[in-house]
Amino acid sequence: MDFNYSPAESEFRTELRAWLADALPKGWGETVFEPKDEHERAMFRLDWERKLHNGGWSGINWPKEYGGRGATLIERGIFAEEMARAGAPEGINIIGHNLAGTTILAHGTEAQKMRFLPEIISSAEVWCQGFSEPGAGSDLAAVRTRAELKGDKFIVNGQKIWTSYAQYAQWCFALVRTDPDVAKHKGLSFLLIDMASPGITIRPLRQISGESEFNETFFDNVEVPVENIVGDLNGGWKIAMTTLAYERGPEDSLGRQVRFKQELDKLLVTLMHTMQGNRAAIDNPAIRQRLARAITELDIVRLNALRAFSRYLDGGDRGSDASMIKLYWSHAAQTMYEVAMDALGPIAPLSGNDPAAAALGRFQLSWLQSKAFTIYSGSSEIQRNIIGERVLGLPR
Amino acid sequence: MNFAFDEQQTSLGDTVARLLADHTALLAPDLSGDGALPAWDALAELGLFAMMVPEEHGGAGLGAIDLALSVEAMGAHLAPPAAVEALLVTDLLVRHGTAAQQHEYLPRIAAGELRVAVAMAEQGADDAPESAQASVSGGVLNGSKVLVAEGARADLFAVLVQSGTGPAIYLVAADAAGVSVRLHEDIDPTCALAAVTFDGVVLGPDALVGPASPGRAVDRLFDGGAALLSCLLTGIAGHMLATAVDYARTREQFGQAIGSFQSIKHRCADMAVAVDAARSATYYAVWALSEDAPDRARAVSMAKAYAGEVARTVCNEAIQVHGGMGFTWELGLHRFLRRAKVIEHTFGCSTWHNERVLAETLRMLEGGEASQQAAA
Repeated sequence: MDFNYSPAESEFRTELRAWLADALPKGWGETVFEPKDEHERAMFRLDWERKLHNGGWSGINWPKEYGGRGATLIERGIFAEEMARAGAPEGINIIGHNLAGTTILAHGTEAQKMRFLPEIISSAEVWCQGFSEPGAGSDLAAVRTRAELKGDKFIVNGQKIWTSYAQYAQWCFALVRTDPDVAKHKGLSFLLIDMASPGITIRPLRQISGESEFNETFFDNVEVPVENIVGDLNGGWKIAMTTLAYERGPEDSLGRQVRFKQELDKLLVTLMHTMQGNRAAIDNPAIRQRLARAITELDIVRLNALRAFSRYLDGGDRGSDASMIKLYWSHAAQTMYEVAMDALGPIAPLSGNDPAAAALGRFQLSWLQSKAFTIYSGSSEIQRNIIGERVLGLPR
Repeated sequence: MNFAFDEQQTSLGDTVARLLADHTALLAPDLSGDGALPAWDALAELGLFAMMVPEEHGGAGLGAIDLALSVEAMGAHLAPPAAVEALLVTDLLVRHGTAAQQHEYLPRIAAGELRVAVAMAEQGADDAPESAQASVSGGVLNGSKVLVAEGARADLFAVLVQSGTGPAIYLVAADAAGVSVRLHEDIDPTCALAAVTFDGVVLGPDALVGPASPGRAVDRLFDGGAALLSCLLTGIAGHMLATAVDYARTREQFGQAIGSFQSIKHRCADMAVAVDAARSATYYAVWALSEDAPDRARAVSMAKAYAGEVARTVCNEAIQVHGGMGFTWELGLHRFLRRAKVIEHTFGCSTWHNERVLAETLRMLEGGEASQQAAA
């Protein structure tokens, strides 16, 4: 065990830090912020992702042959830390990078890798995820969206839901039913669908935060070339499990930890400058206890991810450990935002542009957004089933 | 960077675990202050007390991180906490002891000949080392300590006192005139906790640890204690989790194993996640201690607060999963519950460490230090 960084790792950090200082707008995080408008913000984030790519800072640990940087998992961790330190914007092609790309890298054909990976790394193509359906949430294998093979193409009909970023996406990976007459896990396939295909309709869904990041996506006789299947026909469940292992895995949680850590630091500074009666909000002893716990849990989110990296580097498989990682960060973050609201005291309900709101009302939006954490990419109840059965060996 | 233990660290942990597994008396339901003696001797014979002693003083020259898994195993098998405190004193003397102290004590502690106990807590004080009232003046020690593990069997005490310049650690022979020991009545007699009174004890010329900076010696002992006790707590939590899961697999009600019910399964899953999180915090803390990293105080306080809360929760949950059996004396789960509670209150409780986590975080935030990558 050694947390000291090698000279190469330190050099990676120095180089990235210098690049970030130059690439971020002047006054970033102090006088210059992300656009407030949801669409403008999405475009701003997409521009940032493309800037990262132009600087050679995209696809950090992906192979160079597909446009990646070829760095190590540890350097991937350093990348996340430096993005946090700089308070850099997040991206909107997270699903492309973390899910589509990793799944194609693991299970795609060489042609699929050559076709899709460079476009993900450059964020020329944004991706969305077509897994959940109105009748298939926690019971994901119950998906009913049909894909019938006719000649050299699949004809896709059905509906997906909670498709985040579908409005910005050029591509969607989807779990579809290709054989309705076998056990539900055995009749599924994993397709890559061009969002420009005729027959696709997107309807935004409004979330409890007021935003519309996610959508309903309808497929009406959408044609998908047969070469866009990943893995075998009716072999999609296995591929989807790989996607989920990445969706719940340490790269994802470390990226999120970076954001949460920024917000927690911002919260602490805000509380130091927020008066409540004759003391600063940070001096409330009951709140201090809960803040300490939130600080600790967020550090543990990071340490859990680094331990997972080390396991993988030592040859360990990605698997059910991802459920432990996801269950932990989702509850840690949710708790942190509850503490934030409590700590802000009487002005906690003030949000957005209200002049009396703390820290530009950012914590109120984050608090609302955090309610999704324990639901998406497998609810906490599903994660606990997986941990109980596959990690602890308890009976079904 | 690598957040995994190497083969030597893992194999040492396995060796300690196997050795302790042979000493079934450690887990016996009855509460005996002498039950751990054979295990103590076996640990000494294995060379546990020599592990952190440098080679020139007859030791193995290992660091705290090399022993993290071993101490975790000691937690899981209810080895006496005083054995861990002896390790701490070797670490203290290696880092802060004078040449004469190292020469006099380290070889004998390493060989298991000299038993040393840590005397920190006092009645009426809080968890901070600064609140100690025992004092040294004119080379004479006066004061009363409580909760000294294995206090009645110690040959030497490392005593936290208030000196003219702040807190300090003095080494005091147990047979010095004016030292008296009284065994406590407490929730875990297997720790052999004692009150030790120092009444006008005349100190030797070389009794102060780290004369150049006594406060740093105190911090080292305190942080070391918090870090290694986090390993014990994590070991207890890991063992209770495994016990609960085994029971949930085999105990049947309503015609099926109770672990098939989500109410039980989900409790076990939450425990597993908590234990894993406690390990993350604990291993990092022990590494920060080993390296004397700039965020050492923050890291060990995180671990002690968190592992303490996890151990408590997992003991409670494990008893609940066992139902009525969990509340029986004979099953012995109470041993872990009792032990965890004693350790929770040794070297600072969770509340005290949480406050320190926040204070350290704010200090680093205001100083512009990145609190999560001190090693960078």
